[in-house]
Amino acid sequence: MSEVNVLMNKKIVKKKNTSKKIWANICKYKYLYLLILPGFIHLLVFRYATMYGSIIAFKDYNMFKGIFESPWVGFKNFQDLFNTPKFPLVMKNTLIISLLKMIFGFPAPIILALLLNELKNLKFKKVTQTVVYLPHFISWVVFAGIIRAFLNPVDGFINEIIKVFTGGVPYDFLGSKSTFRSLLVVTDIYKGIGWGTIIYMAALAGVDPELYEAATIDGANLFQRMFYITLPSIKPVIMTLFILGLGGILNAGFEQIFLLYNDMVLPVADIIDTYIYRKGIKEAAYSLGAAAGMFKSVIALILVIITNKIANKIGEEGVW
Amino acid sequence: MAIKESKGERIFHVINVILMVILMILMIYPFWYVIMYSFSKPELAMSGGAFLKPKGFTLDAYKMVFRNRSILYGLKTSLIVTIGGAGIGTLVSAMTAYPLSKKDMPGRKIFTYLFLFTMFFGGGLVPEYLLLKKLHMLDTYWALFLPGCISVWNILVIKNFYKGIPDSLEESAKIDGASDLTVFFKIILPLSKPILATIALFLAVGFWNDFFGSIVYIFDKDKWSLQAVLREIITNTQEAMTRQGITIRNENSSNVSQKTLTMATIMVTTVPILIVYPFVQKYFVKGTMIGSVKG
Repeated sequence: MSEVNVLMNKKIVKKKNTSKKIWANICKYKYLYLLILPGFIHLLVFRYATMYGSIIAFKDYNMFKGIFESPWVGFKNFQDLFNTPKFPLVMKNTLIISLLKMIFGFPAPIILALLLNELKNLKFKKVTQTVVYLPHFISWVVFAGIIRAFLNPVDGFINEIIKVFTGGVPYDFLGSKSTFRSLLVVTDIYKGIGWGTIIYMAALAGVDPELYEAATIDGANLFQRMFYITLPSIKPVIMTLFILGLGGILNAGFEQIFLLYNDMVLPVADIIDTYIYRKGIKEAAYSLGAAAGMFKSVIALILVIITNKIANKIGEEGVW
Repeated sequence: MAIKESKGERIFHVINVILMVILMILMIYPFWYVIMYSFSKPELAMSGGAFLKPKGFTLDAYKMVFRNRSILYGLKTSLIVTIGGAGIGTLVSAMTAYPLSKKDMPGRKIFTYLFLFTMFFGGGLVPEYLLLKKLHMLDTYWALFLPGCISVWNILVIKNFYKGIPDSLEESAKIDGASDLTVFFKIILPLSKPILATIALFLAVGFWNDFFGSIVYIFDKDKWSLQAVLREIITNTQEAMTRQGITIRNENSSNVSQKTLTMATIMVTTVPILIVYPFVQKYFVKGTMIGSVKG
């Protein structure tokens, strides 16, 4: 409690004249402050203390001296980061993989939602939805295991099919630079397409049925109704999700890539998150890792602000 | 509707249903393959094929999984982390959301902004690692669920739910002399069961599926989560098995191969999710809808 009181006290100084009243208020609401306390401490420790800790990006972090005592080095860590030949490559990979996932993965749930929406048998619709949501709940570790079992060049099921039907030689999809990114995009769509339909389905359920009836009477066929009624009605949702997606463009799918990549595909698969993990944790280059992390966070924040501005400007709902 | 469907529309509906059936098969088949393979005898399974049914039948792979120390320890860790994380996370989120939903509480705006800001900016992996190290939480179960059990998103979802509870309920309790604490625990919490169950399930699935926390924060591999153990088996089969003291070629091993063992481990890891999934699916969908309503 005392912590909160101190915080409140500071406020009180600002508004001298009503301080007594505020103090009475605080007593009145003491149980509410008590309720928020555990969550607030968690916030301070695990969110704001880590934010404070990221200042080691501007320091030469020394484990024995600690965060506070380690000497300041300005932007040296960032210069080192930008000067490594690895870094441009990692940024390039992050953007390429993200954009590929965006281009192919973003429309996929919209198309599926439109198709689901046209199913007439409600029971069948429900079963289909239940089945397509499932992969969302399965861990990437399990998926990585299944993907390996199916694509293994020695005894993978897909390679068996290739052998039987084309007589071709088994192909190492996971170890080939030319197919690895496609593999990421396909498996990402596979895992997320069903779950991605939920928000669109909610939006579709809100479309006024009278619009369809009127259009049908006027002679519009199913495809015309889809194009002129359904799509325009869910356009705001599509725009909002697209903008959110653009804001998260530096997240290329850490877990998925971390579980599937290997030395052979590193040049096309290494992204900023995997780089931070290898440098910052495995190689214990804490300051460099923190600098890379901060670079990512700052760019991500700027992207979110910009995309939200754009959303508000073009008249769609932003995130805030 | 009086207007008859055109021929094109009827063809579309047929194709649509066929497409959905194909999609469902694509979604289910990999799991089917894994299940059937895990029950198969290795010497028969080696010949490959579609595994529409097991080739031969043996439970030996499962027996070996449940005799394996690493996997049993992994199961223990995963249970602790899932229950601890979902329990603490849900309770604290529910408590935090309540004051934030009170418009008249002094300081509410400051608290809200402090929470919201962390949705858009964070310290990142390395500072978090150093923090846990400082707190002496590395190599403990705490590291696996304490930092991640509270998310602002969940707090906002719960807060939105509270808004739908009629004020008159609280007011009448207050007139009867109930304090904010009594109102929260006796009235608000019981009324919020649906949303709290949803949040708890979201958290539980997340913690059950987590492997990365173990890899970063836990050095003692006996404390790794099941997913982290499974990852090691998948990515590094031979070495992992040697480390875990599994030798495929012991007396009854003719009925187990690396691949059947991997498949059985995948099943043990996934079955809890598959069992609860049909029951909780509708809650998940509802929860996501509530979350997507702007607060």
